[in-house]
Amino acid sequence: MVRSAHFAAVILGATLLAPTASFADTNITIAGSTALQPLAQAAADEYQQAHPDVKISVTGGGSGQGIAQAASKGVDIGDSDILAPTHPELVDNKVAVVGFSVIVNPASGVTGLTKDQIQSIFSGKVTNWKDVGGKDEPITVINRPAGSGTRAVFLKTLMGKATLAQDSLVEDATGTVVQKVIQTAGAVSYASFSGTHNKTGLTEVAIDGAQPNDADVIAGKYPFWSYEHMFTNGPATGEVAKFIDFTKSNGALFKKLNFILISSMKVSETNR
Amino acid sequence: MTSLASAPRSTAHRDERIARSILFVCATVFVVGITLILIYLAIAGTRLFFQFHVSPLTFLFSNNWDGADGQFGAAPFIVGSLVATAFAILVGGPLGVAIGVFFAELAPKRVAAIFKPAIEVLVGIPSVVYGWLGLTLLVPAIGQVFHLVDGDGLLAAGIVLSIMIVPTVISLSEDALRSVPDAMREGSLALGATRWETISRVLIPSASSGIAVAVILGIARAIGETLAIQLVIGNAPVIPGSLLKPASALTSEIVMDMQNAQDGTAFQASLFSMALLLLLISMGLILLIRFALRKRT
Amino acid sequence: MASVVAAAPVEQRGNLRGDRARSRRIVDKIATGALWSAAAFVVLLLAFFIVYLFVRGASVISWHFLTGFPSSSDAGGGIGPEIFNSFYILILTLIFTVPVALCAGMYLQEYAGPGRFRNFVQFSAESLATIPSIVMGLFGLLIFVQAFHWHYTALGGALTLTLLNLPAMMRVTQEALAAVPTTYREASVGLGATRWQSLVRVILPSAIGQLTTGVVLISGRIFGETAALIYTAGASVSFGKSAYDFNPFHTAETLAVHLYQTHREALVPDADAIGSGSALVLLVMVLIFNITARVVGRRLTIRFTGKA
Repeated sequence: MVRSAHFAAVILGATLLAPTASFADTNITIAGSTALQPLAQAAADEYQQAHPDVKISVTGGGSGQGIAQAASKGVDIGDSDILAPTHPELVDNKVAVVGFSVIVNPASGVTGLTKDQIQSIFSGKVTNWKDVGGKDEPITVINRPAGSGTRAVFLKTLMGKATLAQDSLVEDATGTVVQKVIQTAGAVSYASFSGTHNKTGLTEVAIDGAQPNDADVIAGKYPFWSYEHMFTNGPATGEVAKFIDFTKSNGALFKKLNFILISSMKVSETNR
Repeated sequence: MTSLASAPRSTAHRDERIARSILFVCATVFVVGITLILIYLAIAGTRLFFQFHVSPLTFLFSNNWDGADGQFGAAPFIVGSLVATAFAILVGGPLGVAIGVFFAELAPKRVAAIFKPAIEVLVGIPSVVYGWLGLTLLVPAIGQVFHLVDGDGLLAAGIVLSIMIVPTVISLSEDALRSVPDAMREGSLALGATRWETISRVLIPSASSGIAVAVILGIARAIGETLAIQLVIGNAPVIPGSLLKPASALTSEIVMDMQNAQDGTAFQASLFSMALLLLLISMGLILLIRFALRKRT
Repeated sequence: MASVVAAAPVEQRGNLRGDRARSRRIVDKIATGALWSAAAFVVLLLAFFIVYLFVRGASVISWHFLTGFPSSSDAGGGIGPEIFNSFYILILTLIFTVPVALCAGMYLQEYAGPGRFRNFVQFSAESLATIPSIVMGLFGLLIFVQAFHWHYTALGGALTLTLLNLPAMMRVTQEALAAVPTTYREASVGLGATRWQSLVRVILPSAIGQLTTGVVLISGRIFGETAALIYTAGASVSFGKSAYDFNPFHTAETLAVHLYQTHREALVPDADAIGSGSALVLLVMVLIFNITARVVGRRLTIRFTGKA
């Protein structure tokens, strides 16, 4: 019994020592925004195929986590939909533009809304679709949780001074929000293009006449968009810098996943 | 057994002392553990009050919550947790005691051999699976029954919790009933009482402190449940107007917001304060149990 | 007992025949029926859950699903690494939990007299036991992820789960030891054994069946734990396409956490299917753990004590 205890201790010790016995691989850890995650993951997959000695791990967790972990050096790259003004040590590598849609369940009967209407709906002033030009169907608002990057972009670009009503359903992430809108008659919410484009069972509404597509975002007509940031603690160097450059110029992936190249934008914002 | 006599007495005594010390240390792990947890959570949980100057009264009683925007009134979550737990214990409590009675007094051996393992499986089902079942089965069902667009809310959470605490209440009330001496059963029946009269007027009162413990532990389980309710409660940080409107609870709010709250912010501190509150409630329930048990002789 | 007698009017005492007695018999029958229905209801509910999980999830299960890697944006992801992580964290947790709880249980049961220390430890154990798993997870976050700067690790998750399960494991130990007849201890001491020798060579082997049952049942619960792991072991599998990861210092998303995350993020088009499949696999694992616990426990008891 003592001998097997010794044996077990050796094995356990060996595995615990493993992190110090590093191989020649470079490890890159990325965490943060779930909106950016598909692009980061797909870029990581392609990059690892081309560079077998680099290992990249991509997690979600939300923009807040991305910023926090980049700041605490828990990850190499923190993905975020929002800026990090409280962390001046973080360097902002903008990698993409991502558009967001206000999505509605088809039972609502609307295909376009004005900014004012959106504010009335989300502040709880309007409770039935017929008051905004739709069918006679009660509005079910679905929000993202406080601290969500997507919610922050929504508040900044569309809500302005209007206050969000707090008693709506709250769903955690892009995927759940999209599912809920498809399943719930009269539901309305907001999510990134990569979650909302080409989904049957929901409508992406036009905002003040501008369409939720790449062209209108690029032209600056459609207001609901943000930069995607890859924050690094200090300027990006070495393999991390190479990966970021690889990601932000990967036109083919952008098209596939519904992101927009920063280089194609006709407008720019300093506040996103 | 043969080697017992052959071991020299001095090594046996030395082994005895070493063993006793090791075992003693292991027992202290529990005390050290709970102490560390209390300390760390007390520090992290009071940061909101000391570092960020939010008043504990605001935290406990204000209705106003917007974590990312500096509003830290946790009353909606406290109310949500209490209401969901109350529902769970009002439905699951009697159901659990009833089945506990069933196993202790009524079930023939062969039936018990099937039913008991079934209850054990219910205990083993992970809470995330219960949550998933609630999400895919219960919430749409509530929507249909009540003609709602969306069935998330305290009713859904309460029902899921009831099912989850039933096995706990069953096993503890069964134990409590089994420990009532047979003499009482036989005496009661000999006096001409029916079996139900025996159960309701003799056995349950005798086992009352054990059953009280069963119920209190059921409450503890319900208040601490996280995943199962986060998926069905709607997560609206408000006190809802009805059991059918979206609401939130302490546990579900923590698990949902932790990913969005940045380290070092008041938002994250508020979540730790909610955790501290949960910790204090659980310890309070333990003290309540000890009190209930002491009342009995 | 006096209450039963006093509550019944004189004519009824000791008399189960007659009109008034008939209503008491009817009440008895109704109550019996109600109790049977309650039990049957819960058992049928369980059966319904099992059937539902199988119906929804069975079509998703395939060799590829069970061994493949998860995808974050395409359909067809698998749960291979998550299943591996669930077992890996389980084993790590047991390595820490079983020895400590076993020793603590032995101390309380065989060595400690009734008194303040024993009371203290019992109270600590009960308190630990009622702590909600999310609170324990936050404690793990504070210590292992933040204070130790480990970031999300399998080891951090396992240590958190250890704290969570120590009380249950100790209770299992205490009950198993208490079930061993005192005559064994007396006989052993009578032969000149020290307490430790009695424990190791006589009492523990007798208790091993019940101990094993308890350990396997608790393992089932550890396998399904989520709230304590999300913020300690993390919600991703590290390094994408590389082989199954034995490094305890890497992020380790378990199957239960994966079910939750898949629902949450739902970035893949077949999130619903993956959720159903994961839920089914979790259920099947619980059933396997439960059955194994009983079967192995019974076998060991027969082998070591000669009684069934």
